[in-house]
Amino acid sequence: MSTLHVLSHSPFTDSRLGSCLRLCGAQDAVLLCGDATYALQAGSAPFQALQAKALDVFVLAEDAQARGLSLPDWAKSVDYPGFVQLSIDHDKVNTWL
Amino acid sequence: MNTLTVGARTLELDKDGYLVDLNAWSVEVASALASAEELELTDEHWEILELLRGFYQEFQLSPATRPLIKYTALKLGPEKGNSLHLNRLFKGTPAKLAAKLAGLPRPTNCL
Amino acid sequence: MSRSLLVISRQAPWSGPSAREALDVVLAGGAFDLPIGLLFLDDGVFQLATAQDAKALQQKDVTANLQALSLFGIDEVFACSHSLAERGLSPPDNAQPLSSEQISQMIDRYDQVMTL
Repeated sequence: MSTLHVLSHSPFTDSRLGSCLRLCGAQDAVLLCGDATYALQAGSAPFQALQAKALDVFVLAEDAQARGLSLPDWAKSVDYPGFVQLSIDHDKVNTWL
Repeated sequence: MNTLTVGARTLELDKDGYLVDLNAWSVEVASALASAEELELTDEHWEILELLRGFYQEFQLSPATRPLIKYTALKLGPEKGNSLHLNRLFKGTPAKLAAKLAGLPRPTNCL
Repeated sequence: MSRSLLVISRQAPWSGPSAREALDVVLAGGAFDLPIGLLFLDDGVFQLATAQDAKALQQKDVTANLQALSLFGIDEVFACSHSLAERGLSPPDNAQPLSSEQISQMIDRYDQVMTL
C-alpha cells in the first residue's frame, strides 16, 4: 500500500513536513504545493531532510514557479492533471490540512 | 423564536425544539416538553432522562443511538440497554427524543 | 465491508476548531459503525493532558468528549511516542503510545487517512 502525502504549509513555521518525513513509508510519495514548496529552498534544513529521505518528491509546478524556486533533480514537477494522476496511482492520499 | 411556557416561566427553544439553556431544565420542564410530544412520562422514562443528564455531565455531549444503548446497558443492565426498550419508550428515536426531554442539545452525530 | 478510516489529530485543543473537527469526524464515523482509528500527533497529544478546564474560555470540553470514545465504539486510540517525548509528556492512560515505525505501518494498514 502506498500513500501520497500532500503538504501545503511552509516547513519553516510548522512541523508538518518533519512529522510527515518521520512517518513516511518506503512506498510513499510527497507532493509539495503552496508554501510547502519552500522546502525546496536549496541549502535549507527541510531541503536536506527531503533529500536525505530519498522518497519520490513531487512539486506543483505553478507554486514553485511563483516563488522563484528551482527544482533539484530529485524532485519532479507536476501540473494539476499530474496531481490527479498521482492521487489515482497511490492507494490513498493523506492531505496534511 | 420557539418558546415553551412552564407555569410562569417562558423558556427559549432552538429551531428543533431543544432547550437552549441546559440549566433551565427541571422535572416540570421535562413534563411540558413531553406533553408537546404527546408522551406520558413514566418511571421508565425518568430513569433514562436522569441517565442522559449524567452522560452529558460526564462527557459534555449528547449521545447518538448506539452510545446511548451502550451506556444504558452499562448503568442499568442489558434488559434496559437495548434498542427495543429505548425505541418503545421514545417513539423509535431514543437519541433525539430522550435528549430533547432531558434538556440536552440535539445529538450532533445522529442524522 | 466499510472502508477503515484513520483520523490524525495534530493540533492543540483550545487554539482553533481543528481538534473539535477531528473528534466530530471520529464520533460520526463511530455512530455509523465505521472501523475507525484516532491518532494524536504533534501538538495533538496535548489533547490528552489531564485536568484541563476551558470553561473560562467558553469552549466545549473536548477532553470530556474524548472519554466517550469507547461508548461510540472507538477503541483504537493512539498517541505518537515521539510527540509525547518531545513535549515532556508521559504516556497517557487513554491512548496507546506508538513508535514512528508503528505509526508508519498503521497508516499503511488503514484504507483512508485524514489529517487535521
